[in-house]
Amino acid sequence: MYLILSSIFFPILAGLFLLIRYRTPLPGEKRAIDRKALTTLTGIFLLITAALVAAALLHAKESFTLFYLTKTLPIYFRIDSVGRLFSMLAVIVLPCAGFFSFEYMKHEERESRYYGFYLLAFGVLNALCSAGNLITFYLFFELLTMTSMPLVLHSCSREAVMAGLKYLFYSLCGAYAALFGIYFLYQNCDSLAFTADGALRASSIAEHGGFLLVTAFVMLLGFGVKAGMFPMHAWLPTAHPVAPAPASAVLSAVIVKAGVLAIIRVLGMFGRDFLRGTWVQSVWISLTLVTVFMGSLLAYREPVLKKRLAYSTVSQLSYILFGLAVMQETAFTGALCHVLAHGFIKSSLFLCAGAIIYKTGKTRVEELRGIGKEMPLTMWCFTIASLGLIGIPPTGGFVSKWYLALGSLKSGMPVFDVLGPVILLVSALLTAGYLLPPVIHGFFPGADYDYGRLQKKEPCRLMTVPIFILTTASVFIGLFPDCVSGIIAAAFTGR
Amino acid sequence: MDFICNFPFFSILISLFSGTICSVLPAKAAKAVNRLVIAAVGLMSAVLLLYLLSTGESFIYWMGHFPAPWGNEIRAGVLEAGMALFFCVIMYLSMAGGAHKLPGEVVESKHSLYYILVNLLLSSLLALVYTNDMFTAYVFVEINTISACGLIMIRQVGRTIEAAVRYMIMSLLGSGLLLFGLCIMYDLTGHLLMSNIKESVALIMANGEYQIPLIVAVALMCIGLCIKSALFPFHSWLPDAYGYSTVSSAAILSSLVSKGYIFLLIKIIYRVIGFDIFNSTRIIDVLFVFGLMGMIFGSLSAIKENDIRRMIAFSSVAQIGYIYMGFGMGTQAGMVASIFHILSHAATKSLLFIAAIGLTDVSGGSRKFIDLTGAAYRNKWAGVAFTAGSLSMVGIPLFSGFISKLLFAQAAVQVEGKMLASLIVLGISTVLNAVYFMKTVIRIYTSEQDAPYRSITFRDRKGYTVVLVCSVLLNVILGVSSQPVVDMIGQGLAMFA
Repeated sequence: MYLILSSIFFPILAGLFLLIRYRTPLPGEKRAIDRKALTTLTGIFLLITAALVAAALLHAKESFTLFYLTKTLPIYFRIDSVGRLFSMLAVIVLPCAGFFSFEYMKHEERESRYYGFYLLAFGVLNALCSAGNLITFYLFFELLTMTSMPLVLHSCSREAVMAGLKYLFYSLCGAYAALFGIYFLYQNCDSLAFTADGALRASSIAEHGGFLLVTAFVMLLGFGVKAGMFPMHAWLPTAHPVAPAPASAVLSAVIVKAGVLAIIRVLGMFGRDFLRGTWVQSVWISLTLVTVFMGSLLAYREPVLKKRLAYSTVSQLSYILFGLAVMQETAFTGALCHVLAHGFIKSSLFLCAGAIIYKTGKTRVEELRGIGKEMPLTMWCFTIASLGLIGIPPTGGFVSKWYLALGSLKSGMPVFDVLGPVILLVSALLTAGYLLPPVIHGFFPGADYDYGRLQKKEPCRLMTVPIFILTTASVFIGLFPDCVSGIIAAAFTGR
Repeated sequence: MDFICNFPFFSILISLFSGTICSVLPAKAAKAVNRLVIAAVGLMSAVLLLYLLSTGESFIYWMGHFPAPWGNEIRAGVLEAGMALFFCVIMYLSMAGGAHKLPGEVVESKHSLYYILVNLLLSSLLALVYTNDMFTAYVFVEINTISACGLIMIRQVGRTIEAAVRYMIMSLLGSGLLLFGLCIMYDLTGHLLMSNIKESVALIMANGEYQIPLIVAVALMCIGLCIKSALFPFHSWLPDAYGYSTVSSAAILSSLVSKGYIFLLIKIIYRVIGFDIFNSTRIIDVLFVFGLMGMIFGSLSAIKENDIRRMIAFSSVAQIGYIYMGFGMGTQAGMVASIFHILSHAATKSLLFIAAIGLTDVSGGSRKFIDLTGAAYRNKWAGVAFTAGSLSMVGIPLFSGFISKLLFAQAAVQVEGKMLASLIVLGISTVLNAVYFMKTVIRIYTSEQDAPYRSITFRDRKGYTVVLVCSVLLNVILGVSSQPVVDMIGQGLAMFA
């Protein structure tokens, strides 16, 4: 109990401490922020949090109720396999991106605010992973939006503030649609505690089955906003490019996954058997496939690197949602594998993009000619991560896509069982189309390239090491998928 | 009868007479008397509440020892005592939070007048809460109107005089309608005491004679009180009245005065007409539709507003709409949600008004959004408090606003025909709330490098900051441990019957 609570509240308190202690000086105020102390402290806090989460992951088994919001609505925590998997992702990505930002944020203003909210978001994410019922989950889901919004609008330019607001409104609309569903679930379930095989009363299903299907659909759409599912994906490509690169890495790798986690929970509450074969499943699969294809296509046409990666996130997240929508064990395995694989790959890609911007200031893809000669290590990591996202063995992306396709073929759904893998393949081709050009032009700038202007621009270790760790993690998942298969199998049954 | 049973009478009397005393006292002493009276009444209400919770039943107090149906009566149950206590707490916070602005807003010679009006307002609110007699209720409605007008007008600038005149006209229209309804009711039943009217009303409904005049009377009273509490189509007086009066006045008017009328309406529904009879009329449908429209149009007006105080005022229109939507559902759960929202909105709105003044103070007194840029950095506590209030308004868990939305939604799912409409409008209104409150929060946290204004710290305004912290705490307490409050409301409603 104390481990879980401390993994939630320590980063929150630490973040608040940073926000108050290292407050940005007012215009007239004579007070300089000791940057070294700030970053050291943040680093220590990040490491302690990571250690606490790791300890909680290994040891915490019990469930407990913190307090009662109302008589029937407890704030309840329980770590199960799904939560464990997601906090594994968070505990690797967040510290890496955090250390990366120590260098990246060097020249930015209001650094302390960034670190403060970064830690707050970390704490809220931990809480989200260990939430044991829907109402607790909803609470932290809202808080996650609130704490991650300052990361998006960090630069405070007009564009950034508008992007932050857009993010806020999309998320709030989605969360409210989900809350709407929670009210109905509350009426039709005995408790809101998570399960994997349906909490609906049999009598309710018989009585208002049709209405419950609508509810399920509204909840899927609502939480799908956070996961960038078509038609509510528009906030993602707006929010990512304006945020600082490490923030977009975290946003894209972990925070949008909160939507995926939410959808897994909702599926569990309604029960796969209840939804399988209904119109909800068909519409949902169609939406995910549209998103997969559309996201890749938009990414292919996008010239700005970070925006291209953002569109790619839209597309890749719907791979995961597709795997969930198939409602079949193999596909589920693929989906959860892809949660990890995409998390590592995409954070690594965003950090690479950040390193390029930091060193050269180049944001558009066609400006990146010869970049592989200038920043070889960064670009090598970029290449490996790209191959992973395309799905070339032995990287993480291959394993997950393999399972996704296999699960879809095994599922026996009409039309979608074949259509799904076909679209996944086409999208993989498009992925190659949008990720490989910067790699190719980066390493092979062509004969007319002026090698004389070449400078070594490799960033310092604070940047390269996190990128390297994340890339390695993505390859590791591909080489040894067995190390997570146990936890995924347990997740499928809801243990 | 225990001594404690005298407390309701005492509290009305103390606040009434202290008003008179204030007129001959110097401003400083008047202020002290005012604070003391509010605190004393609050204390008495708290003791009364504990007493009622322990005995578990309400009591009726005869004024002047004339038995019913001739004498005047006071009645106290858990809900009345709780409401009186809550009103005192909010009033104390509002007065203390706006105290430092008073010298700048009101001419020196009128300070004691200000405290007279506040005391009169308190006494009329208490009388509305406790009375068991319709005519007494009417008299105190008028006293309430006049003192509220005075509170608006005491800050002598053009806009407030216009606002006060407008408020006066609308309010008198409202109380006129209430009086009409009351007259018809008296004509039909021959009684003025609530419990006696209720018996006659039940008879009339059973006989089937004079039903239409009775429903007309009920409708007139409802509309009268709706106008006075600024339900949607009757809200035109509100933005100026809340937007330009002194801070304390705005906080008190928005969180208490309109709520006093709403509480009177609840009493009329339960104690005069009878909950079931009221729900069998079409009036609740009208209230429901007006409530829903208020929720949307109030928020839309707030979004268009470029003045922070007027924006908060318009948000009140939306929140009053929530309360009437709860009435319109016609169920016990809806009523509980509405009453909880009365508390939650009162706590939040006074907090927002008080925090907003802290923000405008550090922006050269301007209330335009463009000048408020970065105000939260110049007055940190006000910034935090405003953010907390906004989050509560938007309905983020752990704040009181979330619980009221939860209760409304739970009530809505039990009502077959009105479920979808209420949930959808709740959703739209939540998002609209988020639009204008979050816009403001981001604005005040956008740092402005070359703002010429000086900042205010804790040391400059200790009292003010403490008030802010207390209000935020009140909000969080209502949000985190709502169950006892909800239970108490249920118990109080049970005592009404």
